[in-house]
Amino acid sequence: MIEFVSGISVVCFVASYLVALACEASRLVFRSGVRGAAMIAFAAAGLFAHTLFLLWRAATEQAVPLSSAFDWYLLAAWVLAGGYLWLAIANPRTPVGLFMLPVVLGLIGAAEFSSRQPFPQSPATQVWGAIHGSFNLAASVAVAIGAIAGLMWLIQAGRLARKQAPLQGFRMPSLEKLAQISSRTLSVAAWTASAGFASGIMLNAANRQRGLLETVPWTDPVVLRMGAMVAWLVVAAAVSRAVYRRPEASRITAWLTLVSFAVLTASILWGIFGTTRHGVPPAVPAAAAIDSEAAL
Amino acid sequence: MTLAFIGGSHRTVPLDLRERLAFSAEQAAEALKRFRLRFPGREGVLLSTCNRVEFYAAGENTAGPPPREQLLAFLAECRGIDVRLLEPVLSGECDEAAVRHLFSVASGLDSMVLGEPQIVSQVKQAWAIAQESQTTGPLTGEMFQAALRTAKRVTSETAIGRERLSIPSVAVADFARGVFERFDDKRVLVIGAGKMAAETLRYLREAGAHDIVLVNRTSVRAEQLAARLGARNGRFENLQAELTSADLVVSTTGATEIVVSLELFQRAEARRDGRPLVVLDLAVPRDFDPRIGSRPGVWLYSIDDLTSACAANRKSRQRELPAAIAIIEEETGRFMGDLHHRSTTPVIEQLRAGWTETGDAELDRLFRRLPTLDATAQTEIRQAFDRYAAKLLHSPLATLRSESHSGPPHGLLDALKRLFDLKD
Repeated sequence: MIEFVSGISVVCFVASYLVALACEASRLVFRSGVRGAAMIAFAAAGLFAHTLFLLWRAATEQAVPLSSAFDWYLLAAWVLAGGYLWLAIANPRTPVGLFMLPVVLGLIGAAEFSSRQPFPQSPATQVWGAIHGSFNLAASVAVAIGAIAGLMWLIQAGRLARKQAPLQGFRMPSLEKLAQISSRTLSVAAWTASAGFASGIMLNAANRQRGLLETVPWTDPVVLRMGAMVAWLVVAAAVSRAVYRRPEASRITAWLTLVSFAVLTASILWGIFGTTRHGVPPAVPAAAAIDSEAAL
Repeated sequence: MTLAFIGGSHRTVPLDLRERLAFSAEQAAEALKRFRLRFPGREGVLLSTCNRVEFYAAGENTAGPPPREQLLAFLAECRGIDVRLLEPVLSGECDEAAVRHLFSVASGLDSMVLGEPQIVSQVKQAWAIAQESQTTGPLTGEMFQAALRTAKRVTSETAIGRERLSIPSVAVADFARGVFERFDDKRVLVIGAGKMAAETLRYLREAGAHDIVLVNRTSVRAEQLAARLGARNGRFENLQAELTSADLVVSTTGATEIVVSLELFQRAEARRDGRPLVVLDLAVPRDFDPRIGSRPGVWLYSIDDLTSACAANRKSRQRELPAAIAIIEEETGRFMGDLHHRSTTPVIEQLRAGWTETGDAELDRLFRRLPTLDATAQTEIRQAFDRYAAKLLHSPLATLRSESHSGPPHGLLDALKRLFDLKD
């Protein structure tokens, strides 16, 4: 059993999600009586392997799910994959996988380019670290779900404006439902991203006090991108609320969710390819290093 | 001939004659009882819908189903119609063609609206009435079960019945449902009393709508209609206020000019708090100014828009037709193969019985000559004999089954009968 679990790699669940995505895409081409079952089976297999992979890392590498950038992205992908599986079972006629699975795969791709090294932590900073990571995770997932609902709203509205009957295998939820989801997730994203940023400040202060990590300056790219994202989400949520009683409200909110997702994507790419002192252990002082060598 | 049908549908029988020929459930049961007495040992199922009347009859090879003339006279007699009126409009088929026809009918391929699903329940009902009247048997049983299985395959493996075709159903299911998630918290405003309003409201009620207001220029007529449709009667003079509070409008007046102008709508729009509005303008000429459709948050559909969507759906159904026909051909072939194989059963049973009888006689003689054999040894020898007989029979039986797919294997059966001296 241990041999089986330890053999699970990222490729295993990526392959399962890819097959589920291919099944979703085939809805547009042909009808099949077994596709729904195959799609759910592959998504469930992928989620199962994904879960075992995260549990194995937590057990063997002391990598609590939010303790490294790699694990953070994989956990975000896991939450979305779980959401997809639930929606695919509850609404088998809605092609939600066509929108959700690419985001899941994108997050796994981002994980592959991120550091697997857990952030150094003490029991005191671990709580702040978990709060910081959880809020950021919730904000990112909310932005992704909101953008998916926003994109579906625009597609559905386009179809209704063109006065076309729904395409075979491409029946979207109602505009009312999609508008409700995108508006709510925008609010949730603004609140959780703000809380994540505030808890990050607290974590930074705690780390500086204990000398665990390097102090992250206000000019650090991570601080700048997170700050920009929080500012954008707060503005977007405020705009969405302000236009609530206007006939264009749902369309404006749909576009705001898409821009929020673009901001999140840019932020992730900046985080992956930019330089930062976020989560970096402090440099060993030269004198201490000489002492260590002498001791050896 | 084993299976036969005679009947007519909307394609061949004029409406007035179809109405006279139609059977109610009680009349169908009565007719089937009469059939049982007149044609003992034969099976019969009567399918009568508003679009068709068909009688399916069956009988094993020796008797066969009643001939066409007798079935025709029987139907005419049951409904008190001159047989000469039915002769030119009712057609009949037998065996494979009859099976193919029933499978097509059950799958909705022969319906007035291609792929309509109600026919399946009508076929089930016809079968139930025949069962109660004790006119069913193994042949019609297998045939109707196979027909229902075929219909299920056509429904699940093709999209022939998936797209909606009537304007009210397309208006509600494909458009109004695309905008609103639920209707139980929405206000529906019906302007006018056109024919399609009632049918559209039926779909909306099924979707959960219950807050319905009806306004009409003639208030007496509106009151009557409101009572019939279970709606609240509004005043035509309050149209602007009603538009302000409505979420969905169904408009079907007979007015020759625009009823809701852009100016009137804009006055109502200012008080709507940005709520979306779906307008189903089913009137000809249109009741709503077309410019209203370009206002933000308004989804306006005219009868032409809905007709185009219906036509697109109809084309989509037509595209599925070859796939549905392929399923019907496959199921017909399978059914006929099984039916032909049934005709070989008596010969096979005789052949097997003859071999078993000879084997048992030889074994009894052997066991008498070898009295020292215990029960275990005797059982072993008996089983070996059975296996030997089964292996020898396997090849001819497989050939018979394979030949059955292309028709009754009369040549092989005759050869077997002559070679092994089997009697009919």
